[in-house]
Amino acid sequence: MNENNTNKKNGSLDILTLAQRFSVPLMFIIICAICIPVSGLSMNMLLDEIVTRMGRNAFLILSLLIPIMAGMGLNFGMTLGAMAAEIALIFVSDWQIVGIPGMVLAAIVSVPISVLLGVFCGKILNEAKGREMITSYIMSFFVNGIYQLVVLYLMGSIIPIKHGAIKLPRGYGIRNTVSLLNMRQKLDNLLAIRIHGVKIPVATFIIIALLCLFIVWFSRTKLGQDMRAVGQDMEVARDAGINVDRTRIISIVMSTVLAGFGMIIYLQNMGNIATYSAHSQIGMFCIAALLVGGASVDRASIGNVFLGVILFHTMFIVAPKAGAVITGDSMIGEYFRVFVSYAVITVALIMYETNKRRQKKTAGQQLAQAQKEEAAGKEGEA
Amino acid sequence: MKNKRKLLFRIAALLIVLAVAGTMFVIGRGHTIYFDNKETSYNGQTVAPFYNVKVTVGDQKPAKLSKGDRGMADLMGQTLSVTLEITDSEGGTPHAHKVSMKVPYNMDGIAINVPALMAGLPQDAYLSEFVIKEPEPTAEDEEIVTDELENIGGDL
Repeated sequence: MNENNTNKKNGSLDILTLAQRFSVPLMFIIICAICIPVSGLSMNMLLDEIVTRMGRNAFLILSLLIPIMAGMGLNFGMTLGAMAAEIALIFVSDWQIVGIPGMVLAAIVSVPISVLLGVFCGKILNEAKGREMITSYIMSFFVNGIYQLVVLYLMGSIIPIKHGAIKLPRGYGIRNTVSLLNMRQKLDNLLAIRIHGVKIPVATFIIIALLCLFIVWFSRTKLGQDMRAVGQDMEVARDAGINVDRTRIISIVMSTVLAGFGMIIYLQNMGNIATYSAHSQIGMFCIAALLVGGASVDRASIGNVFLGVILFHTMFIVAPKAGAVITGDSMIGEYFRVFVSYAVITVALIMYETNKRRQKKTAGQQLAQAQKEEAAGKEGEA
Repeated sequence: MKNKRKLLFRIAALLIVLAVAGTMFVIGRGHTIYFDNKETSYNGQTVAPFYNVKVTVGDQKPAKLSKGDRGMADLMGQTLSVTLEITDSEGGTPHAHKVSMKVPYNMDGIAINVPALMAGLPQDAYLSEFVIKEPEPTAEDEEIVTDELENIGGDL
């Protein structure tokens, strides 16, 4: 009888723990369940939008997994990779390399810029251990300043830019919007199929699947295992002979390079570059999507990425329409979705900090208890 | 020995990447091709335009050119393969010609005079660079938007 009660208690506790663990995805499922019928969008249209956004964003969000593996939290510095990709795309547009070859060339050009920025970011983050997220966040603003200097003043004056369609009329600097019309959805349309009116960008999904396989394979390699070890405990990893700082830098470099590739996929889908703002919010929204998928600051999986993309972007699609139906003003929905993005990051950070403190407190209590017992044992012996 | 092999592998990888980049430069170079069905003169020889020309490049929408018309098509790579369906006179039967030619790498816009091409004239008679005239700058063009909150109301 007692055992039954204990089992029941354990069962309810488990459900409670699970509910706590997946509180954010659950909340989003509820929001979506309410907003979808209110928005009045047809299922086909909704599915089409979600599939498009999955192809557009999944690669970018997957780039966040490696730094989490290395215990560096959510890499707000992925913006650096996005900026590298934008610079590469500006060059490729100016050189008039179009279609898939243009994307491949942009990816190749973005790599050295991403690596340089990644090494820089990794080195700074090594100087700010334990405060990686805020440091990378602020660093993205700092590098954004350098990016603006390069794009607004150096391109066209020192860095050669030939085409007037890209350059500002004053002769230097890049226009607010650079057209990627000759690259637009070239990857998405490659091998694309339609199922009940829903376009499936097969080639994009193949690339995303390859990245997923790479991440799974990488986590089993020596370097991947080292990253896990560093993520669990840096001191123990260092004692085990792992070069902690180098491992952390590699994780950030990999994330930055992958974010650059992700940004190229993202921008080819959009068909243009908002030169001065495309990258600025990308980190925030990718991180929000990952957290919505049930990830936390120290734990994330490929499953979280896909669940996050589906839930977060469903909310993104239906919220403005639902807002317009409920309040008569679509801007309410717009503000709601932006507010939710920031809120989910805040909640995740609070939960992470609370758990860390709770664990520290529990460990302290256990240590005190053990010391007490040891002292009592010694007294007894005496 | 191990370090030397590592270095060799790195150099080989770098060379492969450079080769891929070089290939992309060639196969991905985009050109805008303008087809003219206009009268042209070369070394005192005058070539009259056709009554009608239907120009098809790849799977792009064909351009139908009457006398004096200009059509355009996008090209990726350095080889232009075009199908020309020419009608010489009103009510005449169109005859198709497949033409393939190399285009200059450094030209973004290329104007091809179809009658001169079909008359068998040299390349400098039927092919020329077409440069789009830049519009006059306006104050609006100079305004740069770097607003962080621009994404509110935008798309993701």
